[in-house]
Amino acid sequence: MKKLLFVFVVASLLLAACGGGTSATEAPAGGEKVTIRVWTHQNDSFNAGYEALATEYMGMHSNVEIVFETFDYDTYIQTLQTALPAKTEADVLQMFGSWVCSYADGGNLAEMPASVISMDDAKAKLLGAPVGGYICDGKLYGVPQEFNIEYGAVLFNTAIAEEVGATDYKDGWANWDEVIEDGKKMAVTQDGVMTRAGLNFTGSDGIATMFHSVYLQYGGQYLKDGVYTVNTPEGVKTLELMKQLVDDGLVDPLLYNDEENWVGDSYFAETSAMGLVGPWAIPEYSGDYAEVAAATIYQPLPSVGSEPVFAAASGWGLTVSVNSKAQETAWDFVKFVTLDASNAVEWNLASGTLPALKENISGANADALVVEFPYFKPFLGILEYGQYEGQFPDRDFVWYEVAYPTVLNFLQGNATLEETLQTIESEVQGSFK
Amino acid sequence: MTVSIQNNLLRRFFRGRNSAEKQFLAGAISPLVLYMTFWTIFPLLWGIALAFFDYSPRQTGGFLGFGEGNPFVGLQHFESMLNFTADAPLEVQQFHIGIRVTLLFAVLVVPLNLLVTLPLAFLIESINDKVKGIFRTLFFLPVLAPSVGVAIMWGFIFHPQRGLLNAIIGEFTGKLVGVAWLRDSSLTVWGIPVALFAIVVAYLWQDMGYNLVIFIAALQGIPQSIKDAARIDGANWWQMFARIIVPLLMPTILLAAVLTMISAFQVFDIVQVMTDGGPDDQTQVLLLNIYSYAFRYQKMGWAAAVSIVMFLLVFSISFVQTRLLRTEWEY
Repeated sequence: MKKLLFVFVVASLLLAACGGGTSATEAPAGGEKVTIRVWTHQNDSFNAGYEALATEYMGMHSNVEIVFETFDYDTYIQTLQTALPAKTEADVLQMFGSWVCSYADGGNLAEMPASVISMDDAKAKLLGAPVGGYICDGKLYGVPQEFNIEYGAVLFNTAIAEEVGATDYKDGWANWDEVIEDGKKMAVTQDGVMTRAGLNFTGSDGIATMFHSVYLQYGGQYLKDGVYTVNTPEGVKTLELMKQLVDDGLVDPLLYNDEENWVGDSYFAETSAMGLVGPWAIPEYSGDYAEVAAATIYQPLPSVGSEPVFAAASGWGLTVSVNSKAQETAWDFVKFVTLDASNAVEWNLASGTLPALKENISGANADALVVEFPYFKPFLGILEYGQYEGQFPDRDFVWYEVAYPTVLNFLQGNATLEETLQTIESEVQGSFK
Repeated sequence: MTVSIQNNLLRRFFRGRNSAEKQFLAGAISPLVLYMTFWTIFPLLWGIALAFFDYSPRQTGGFLGFGEGNPFVGLQHFESMLNFTADAPLEVQQFHIGIRVTLLFAVLVVPLNLLVTLPLAFLIESINDKVKGIFRTLFFLPVLAPSVGVAIMWGFIFHPQRGLLNAIIGEFTGKLVGVAWLRDSSLTVWGIPVALFAIVVAYLWQDMGYNLVIFIAALQGIPQSIKDAARIDGANWWQMFARIIVPLLMPTILLAAVLTMISAFQVFDIVQVMTDGGPDDQTQVLLLNIYSYAFRYQKMGWAAAVSIVMFLLVFSISFVQTRLLRTEWEY
């Protein structure tokens, strides 16, 4: 029996030894070699940008080695969830802004040292929407590198517009009536079946972001002091506008949604003449649909209010693990990549993303971005109007489980406007409990 | 008490063996026991424990992640499942929907599967031996196809604009047809969402090969003398099937029903790819619900509690099914 127990104990110890993960990099003694592990999700252009900057940084700091470990998107989320409690994560963690606070609240992320950048300086240097995701309970937990935008302008097929004589867009749309006018001309319906949508805005990001953005433009404030309110006159006007687009035949939400004819696929397959999706869609599709991409412009949407304010979901950026034993070096690398204007724009150029630094939305760096990505031009002018979409306990739940299906159901004619607003408000508020 | 049972088991296991044999046995089974402990028993116990905590992997906890940011909530998750009011939290409402949809799915799938596979197996067994193999292979092929591939294929068939089904209907009507079979929540038949029917069809197409093989094997086990006797007594094809074959196959039918029921309760990938629970939660099966809350929204404590309920549900239904249909046959 004792021998059996001995076999168990030895095998357990062996397994424990094999299973024990390595914790974040240990701190070096002065002048010793420091290895910084960086975790990112798999995105070739993003990672090419990181690696170029890391090589540059290592050239300037001979004792620092930066090692990248990448994961495909879904695996990355799951790896973060399992590695952070186990304290086996890397020193520098790439995060999407809307995730940051949930990890920071869990005590997993290091607070930004004032020596890197103070809160006031960060707010002055960075655009409000991207940095908003990195501020939790008045503390800063990282730096965004890009501005993730899903609202403000639409993919617009100029070839189709030319073919059907849609011209209102040429001088810029002054109001939604002009959008509807062009959209009606560009939509095609045969035997009652829509074969080409005029304006496809009924994907999950499109619906959720448009709903919250137009709500802001009407003067509403959907999230204040942890209270979510949309069952208001502004909410009514927002849904009425969205329904009008459906009723006027710009899109059939039964045929165009996240599951069928997703906006990116549909636009480039020319079953949608306009599509509400962020500028990341163009590099994603231009290889396979060069002809459509060549005829594509981003057309700014009109505002229903005095300013083109919109809700935005922060953006990708870098944070440092609270368990990193080389936090000083890790933060220094983050500062080098994100806060130096030329390095930051170098990464934006490599990754094809909009800048998070105010300094880079105008001047020579902005010009360089427009030369490389001409479709950025309409966005650069509106980025300063972006507002961080707000600190929800679970943003994806609000966006994809509540706002999208509920508004889509309304647009499909299966719920009344009042029911829709009540449902969204109560279900989102319920998620705060 | 438990220790004494374990000691008795160990004693019985090693009884009558010499020291070298005992050492060999201990060495041989230890890796398996350790493997099971680490990869099956520990995760199982951890999963059960999660259900009593408000656990999210984003929060820092104490030992094994429990406590601190992931507080102990006792039976709170289970209590909230009993909240049937209109203002119940969304996860509770979706849990109720999940139970309803899963039961409806299983209730549709089990009889339909048996109704299709049993006569089909009988037909295949009745035909010439030379072509039997071809049909068996043909009907078993979908079982070998990956579920995600099957779901994508059926998704194309039901696509509103490019789908095969609408194209066929269009051929007959002479008009372009754009019915959104998988997305239109207003489409129902006898109160059952059409989207759920569409998933049932795809699921049956893939799953029926299993039962077909089971029934063919069982049919081959029925003695020829019984069939011959029935024929001599003047039984026709239908009488042979309904009065001889089906009663003799009852134990096999029971087995197939239980296995199909368990498998129907675990449907996930086909639903996720074809509808992702939509439209309007009409196909939100329980396993998809568990996955969403555990991995999309990181409410693992809640998801673990729902998993336990699902386990109890499957266990109870299988148990009742087995007891109700228990028969002893000898032939």
